[in-house]
Amino acid sequence: MGREPRVVIVTGGSRGLGAGIVRSYLESGDLVATCARSITPEVEAWQSDPATADRFLWGAADLAKVEDADAFVKAVVEKWGRVDVLINNAGVARDGIHSQFSDEDIDTVVDLNIKGTLYVTRAVGRKMLVKRSGHIVNISSIVGLSGYRGLATYSATKAALDGMTRALARELGSRGIVVNGVAPGYLKTEMSHGLDADQLNQIVRRTPAGRLGDPEDIARVCQFLTDPANTYLTGQVIVVDGGLTS
Amino acid sequence: MSTVSVEQVLSDFLNRVEKMPESLTPDLNLYADGIGLDSLDAAELSAVLEDELGSSPFDADEMPETVGDVIAFYDAAAAS
Repeated sequence: MGREPRVVIVTGGSRGLGAGIVRSYLESGDLVATCARSITPEVEAWQSDPATADRFLWGAADLAKVEDADAFVKAVVEKWGRVDVLINNAGVARDGIHSQFSDEDIDTVVDLNIKGTLYVTRAVGRKMLVKRSGHIVNISSIVGLSGYRGLATYSATKAALDGMTRALARELGSRGIVVNGVAPGYLKTEMSHGLDADQLNQIVRRTPAGRLGDPEDIARVCQFLTDPANTYLTGQVIVVDGGLTS
Repeated sequence: MSTVSVEQVLSDFLNRVEKMPESLTPDLNLYADGIGLDSLDAAELSAVLEDELGSSPFDADEMPETVGDVIAFYDAAAAS
């Protein structure tokens, strides 16, 4: 490999899209830390595989709790000394007609998707400010742009992340910190995000690419945005949806 | 407790951001009518102080306004 390994944090990387992004950065030779509330077989495999064990850090954390978010970032910096790339992927969805939505579901989605992302980004941003470089990607969603029936709270949180992306790009740009968003369309992992099989089949029929997205489709764009050579593309939310919203 | 002095951390930081005044006196204001730090400089200084000294006066209830306020924060912490 021709370059120094980057220190990469991928939040919510224990399964689904997050795990795909973790795998991508491990494959590109980087040092990768991830966290989630509970460990999974994928995480255990990275911990035990000789090819990744020394380059992988796992932390159990509920990022909706500021103390967990701060402790996780601190553990990464204590181990590797810095953070070069932050992928804010951790998120949760609850579906349902909004007029019937419970207080608890609203809190769960807002606390992790918005507050958790703000907590981690604040802690990492402090470290990036000191070294005056860094790349941040916020994993958004096309439902933050287009909306989706039954996903009002989730859509609201993703639109909030897009605003955060643009604000932070302006705030941190003069310090060499690049901030972008990726808004995936509907992924195969969406079965866990509140959409049923009939809804997903309808989406496939309307998608020019003729399929749902894979985590690799999103990871590839994250790699592009966080390439050390990218110091100019910032403040943008890149839609990666197989052409669905084109 | 770190062996690095507050004055040294301040001085290293101000040299790095090219805002080092001729002399670093306690009454010198950190912001517009003194050293000229902007809000992002202050955030960066806060992170540097926390990294080097374990805590930051910018995270306290009362934000420091002068070089003396920063030094006094660590003096008070050392005395307690």
